Amino acid sequence: MTACVEIKNLYKTYHRRKWLFGAGEAVEVLKDVTLSLPENRVLGLVGESGCGKSTLCKVLLGIEKPTSGTVVVQGQDVPQATKAQLKKMRRVMQVIYQDPYGSLDPRMTVRQLLSEPLDIHKLYLNKNERNKFLEELVQSVGLSPEHLNRYPHEFSGGQRQRISIARALALDPRVLVADEPVSALDISVQAQILNLLRDIKRTRKLTILFVTHDFAVARFLCDDIAVMYQGRIMEKAPAEQLLAHPQHPYTQTLLSAVPEVGKSLASEPEEKAIGSSAGMGCPFAPRCAKATDVCRQQIPTLLETSPGHWCACACLTQGEKNDLKS
Amino acid sequence: MSISPVLQVEDLRIDFQNDAQSLPVLRGLSYSLPAGKVLAVVGESGSGKTVHALSLLRLLPAAGRISGGKILYKGKDLLTLSGKELRQVRGQKIAMIFQDPAASLNPVLTIGDQLCETLQAHRKLTKEQARKEAVKLLEKVGIADAEKRIAEYPFQFSGGMCQRVMIAMALALSPDILIADEPTTALDVTIQAQIIRLIKELQQREKMAVIFITHNLALASQVADEVLVLYGGMCMEQAPAKELFSQPKHPYTQGLLASLASLKTRSERLPAIAGQPPLPGEIMIGCPFVPRCPHAKEKCRQSLPSLTKRGEHAVRCFREDKP
Repeated sequence: MTACVEIKNLYKTYHRRKWLFGAGEAVEVLKDVTLSLPENRVLGLVGESGCGKSTLCKVLLGIEKPTSGTVVVQGQDVPQATKAQLKKMRRVMQVIYQDPYGSLDPRMTVRQLLSEPLDIHKLYLNKNERNKFLEELVQSVGLSPEHLNRYPHEFSGGQRQRISIARALALDPRVLVADEPVSALDISVQAQILNLLRDIKRTRKLTILFVTHDFAVARFLCDDIAVMYQGRIMEKAPAEQLLAHPQHPYTQTLLSAVPEVGKSLASEPEEKAIGSSAGMGCPFAPRCAKATDVCRQQIPTLLETSPGHWCACACLTQGEKNDLKS
Repeated sequence: MSISPVLQVEDLRIDFQNDAQSLPVLRGLSYSLPAGKVLAVVGESGSGKTVHALSLLRLLPAAGRISGGKILYKGKDLLTLSGKELRQVRGQKIAMIFQDPAASLNPVLTIGDQLCETLQAHRKLTKEQARKEAVKLLEKVGIADAEKRIAEYPFQFSGGMCQRVMIAMALALSPDILIADEPTTALDVTIQAQIIRLIKELQQREKMAVIFITHNLALASQVADEVLVLYGGMCMEQAPAKELFSQPKHPYTQGLLASLASLKTRSERLPAIAGQPPLPGEIMIGCPFVPRCPHAKEKCRQSLPSLTKRGEHAVRCFREDKP
């Protein structure tokens, strides 16, 4: 398997001022993120709000410049790319956003929305050819050709998300970045969109970075899952492996909190009240029941604990591996 | 049921005025809420679940109108009360918490100010007494260092903490009923679990009845004693939680449960319900679920099945009518 996307030692720092004339304060949003997406696989990026999931998407897409580190998509270094190179990149990598209401221009018909990327990249200039292409495109996402002449407000949330998907697919990209594409949808519609995403991944042989906060959704769609916390990757493994044997205490905490039909309310986990910021050590240490002094002083490195399973926890490297697994 | 109901809703109908027409958003909802029990009202967006919750305290927006039915709180119809009488009910007897806790708090007043305001509006307390009471309330909802944090502003609290403050405010006057409208939708899962545990714990300790409004079936299964499934402004199915989740009878409930992605098993395809939920106020003659129902027959298109009750399990479907 060749890696389609390579992210190495990525850091992103934002600066904010507490008040207008105050000194800037650095906020590290991404810390030493290393991820690789093999071709034709779906990597699920799971984490809570504010952990840096969306920032990672932005850096990957070239919308934000990283503070340091490299992002290479199919041989192209994204942060170093010139405008012209970035434009070329757009044909390789596309994005679907969470809110299907905010991401479609209300004054454009579906035909205009889908034609725009074709115009920019000067594709299908022949009118008949283009119409045929657009009709096939909307059909491939489960809409019908007559929908092309309608405006976004005439569609429901699920249908709008189909339009967003069609627009992302218009340039036939190799990589798709999906930032919480189903979390704004009704449950009965979520399943439809998840099925659609799975179908297009297969038929188009796409590589997908799928950002979500929902483990159940990640399990359905993703081949691999990476868990993020405060800008760091805490654990990364094939989806089945991660869900069956979560190694990091944070992953375990997250998983036990997911409500499921038939599962009784999780009892209070062995979790400390959220204390002050982690300071030097593991970002999860202030909440972790297993935290030791080592955790508070040193950032654990992401290590391969079993084949394909990576985990950043000091406990695992100190021979407590079995204890955690049980 | 042996416990007398603290709230009874009878054939509640709500219309929304839109230019020339009036759209039925809630089309005859009836249920009774026993004291100290948790009723989950489950539905998708546009099903009428939030409108129903707002109507219980007569907080509907101007376009909304209650066009029929009764809301009986301990036998008294809330719809006939005057403004002054209603204020006695709001907060003291029935309290409500909303989805977005940060937006429900006033950003320019401290947490303490807002809690004391509620307390002093309803009870004869001096400033000092109210402050002491407010600290006690914050401690009750698990806010550490309450003495200090009471002087802080909402922006200094995280989403989960804000929701705790909202709960404290709702509990300030020990109401009989707490209406929780999607109280954890804006929160992360770990925080969600904490808030749900808190609500459940307080509900049991204070013997409070809770109407828990959510779109999350899994969450409903964990907190509720009884579950009511709303679709197109109507109750499709109502049953004790255990029974509803183990033996769902309505095709909509069955479809919803089947379409959930699971943590435990990985399926090849999710059995999705085709089509879209109806728009709020969409007028239908037959069953609102017909366009999406795998079992729909001509009869379903032409007439609306009634809510038939067998034991404690009520279902609105013609398939259930046959013995």
